[in-house]
Amino acid sequence: VRAIRVDPGRLRLVGWGFGGLAAGAVAGICAVAVASAMAAGRSAATDKDVGRLIDVGHLPPLLRLPAERVTLRFNVFCPAPGDDPFGGAPCDAGGDVFVRTGRSGPFRQLPLRRTDDVAEGRYAVSVPAEVAASPDGFSYYAVLRNEATGTSITVPSGGAAAPQLSLPLEDAVVVDLGSHVFGSTRRADARLVSAIWGTAPGEVGLVRGPSFGPIGPSAFDVASNGDVSVLDQANGRIDRWRGGRVAAVVPVDVTGGIADMAVEADGSIDVLEPTPELRSFDASGQLLSTAPIEDRTWSQLREGAEGPEVQQEPSEQWMPVRRGLVPLAQAAQARGGHPGRTLAGGRELVVFRTGVSEARVAEVAGAHVTRAWRITSATPLGEVQLAEPLGNRVVVVVRPYTETQDEFLVLVLGDRGVERSFSVDSADWAETAPLARFRLVGSSLYQLGSTPSGMHVDRFDLEVNR
Amino acid sequence: MSLLRPRVAFLAAFAAALGLVAAKAALATFVSANCNYNAPTWSPNMYRDGSVTVALVARYEGYHWGGGCWNDNDVDEGPNEPLQTYSTGGEGGDCSGLTFKVWRESLNTGDGGHYQWGRLRNVHGPYAAADFKAGVGVPNATYPKADAIVMDAFASSTHIGMVYQRGTSGADQIVEAKCEACGTNIFTRTYRSDSSYGGVRRMGWTG
Repeated sequence: VRAIRVDPGRLRLVGWGFGGLAAGAVAGICAVAVASAMAAGRSAATDKDVGRLIDVGHLPPLLRLPAERVTLRFNVFCPAPGDDPFGGAPCDAGGDVFVRTGRSGPFRQLPLRRTDDVAEGRYAVSVPAEVAASPDGFSYYAVLRNEATGTSITVPSGGAAAPQLSLPLEDAVVVDLGSHVFGSTRRADARLVSAIWGTAPGEVGLVRGPSFGPIGPSAFDVASNGDVSVLDQANGRIDRWRGGRVAAVVPVDVTGGIADMAVEADGSIDVLEPTPELRSFDASGQLLSTAPIEDRTWSQLREGAEGPEVQQEPSEQWMPVRRGLVPLAQAAQARGGHPGRTLAGGRELVVFRTGVSEARVAEVAGAHVTRAWRITSATPLGEVQLAEPLGNRVVVVVRPYTETQDEFLVLVLGDRGVERSFSVDSADWAETAPLARFRLVGSSLYQLGSTPSGMHVDRFDLEVNR
Repeated sequence: MSLLRPRVAFLAAFAAALGLVAAKAALATFVSANCNYNAPTWSPNMYRDGSVTVALVARYEGYHWGGGCWNDNDVDEGPNEPLQTYSTGGEGGDCSGLTFKVWRESLNTGDGGHYQWGRLRNVHGPYAAADFKAGVGVPNATYPKADAIVMDAFASSTHIGMVYQRGTSGADQIVEAKCEACGTNIFTRTYRSDSSYGGVRRMGWTG
């Protein structure tokens, strides 16, 4: 048997090494623990105060039939009182509605009552019959409170300076669509843009993931000369198409999220980002301004007579976001809120989709309805994708749907009702901004569509005299 | 020299161990650094508007595929994650994870109970969007889209979002964890009229 001889010096060296490893590990663990505790403290310190959390859901009755009783309903979302603010109980909320006839004069304060109807809004107030019956309609705003913490929210956000307006429809033209017949869609008169998915010039970006559907170019717009601008947010650019080809590629600094877009007459570009903010670029893509919008959510962007306007929620008002080159502060946006899209001459076009299958559209001047249409259907109607004046008519695009089918229905409305209508394939394989699938320019309607192979922009000539 | 060598060995080993621990800590994700696996608490009552607040806390906290853990500081602490990557451990839920938590569901698909999961509880739940669309699980059922109200949902084979409020245009405000670039928030969507989406109702609401 050979004896194993150990060099004491080498053994000591190994011992020192193990000691160093142990000491280093202990020191590292301690340092990480201290750092984590400090980070956790910072994280906790920066958490929001849950007591300040409050939001509201409200569907304003913008356009009412004369016989309709008017109950204003609100859902107030805030933490429940007590030790378990997220335990599933509703919060202890309350509030007041301030209402007046027409658009001027003093407001009457009406306290909200709590109900069991969370579907339409747990907090409700009946508008007094004499106010609701006014031919000038009524205007109102609500201040909603978390009674436990005192936190409040005003809707619409402009409050008394820009209250919501509810108008009676005395002489609406009734348009009864009956049951929608799916599958009889019109072919487009021209395909102006056709691009496959990709990143190269002439291609458009597609984003898809395992937990969200395909998202393609989220918006487009058409210039008066027929040039089509496509917001290719996934590739960070706007593609300008002319004569079926890409005429220009304009890089823009966008988030890549689903955004709406409008192109102004001078070629400058407004992109409404999900952040939510309006980014304005010159025609070459240079960022000119950024303006956070007033409310938490937007639904659409359009160019008004004096600049871009955004329909915002929960106010459910169109608000100016920029005047000329000057972005408006959020408070100024709120003060400029109004129920409809601004038209020439100070008029507005108000849209109110209600119930399962009805849409109401009215031209409004001052606080008076000058023309109105009440569109009813035996088939459920989804969103009103577009409502635009066309000479002395109004073009409306609604979306009949069932559980398994959907199409767009284009209506050209005149003083006597529907002058022309046709169905359009929804062509919605890839998602866009919610109300950005159609644009009306001149007497043509343009549609942004998509299939698994790519996207396209089609033109439908409405064949009516302006 | 003989005295110096053990000290060098000690310092070298100390530095190596410290470096390894620091490197491991540096690789910590939002989930590993912040989230827990605590048991949920059962709630007798579950109101639609009461549950909305769970979703409101998740706003601005980001999106993480397969995830279900977030704090409440309005900052996405796991931004710009690659698609379909769970291992990055970022902040936020994905669409079905958010729905699971807001709807207070159980890991047991046969249990319709009301379970409150803390925001820092890392849980996704057993359902993908397609499961919700098909009404899989005791508490979930398909439902006519036209009748969907606050805290019902619209689900496709790949996505689900919960109804917050229908708007005057007829489009819905939807609270959802949408995508990495979109985050978790309230967005206006047209899922109701989109035939690739179906209606889903979580059964068992108190009111």
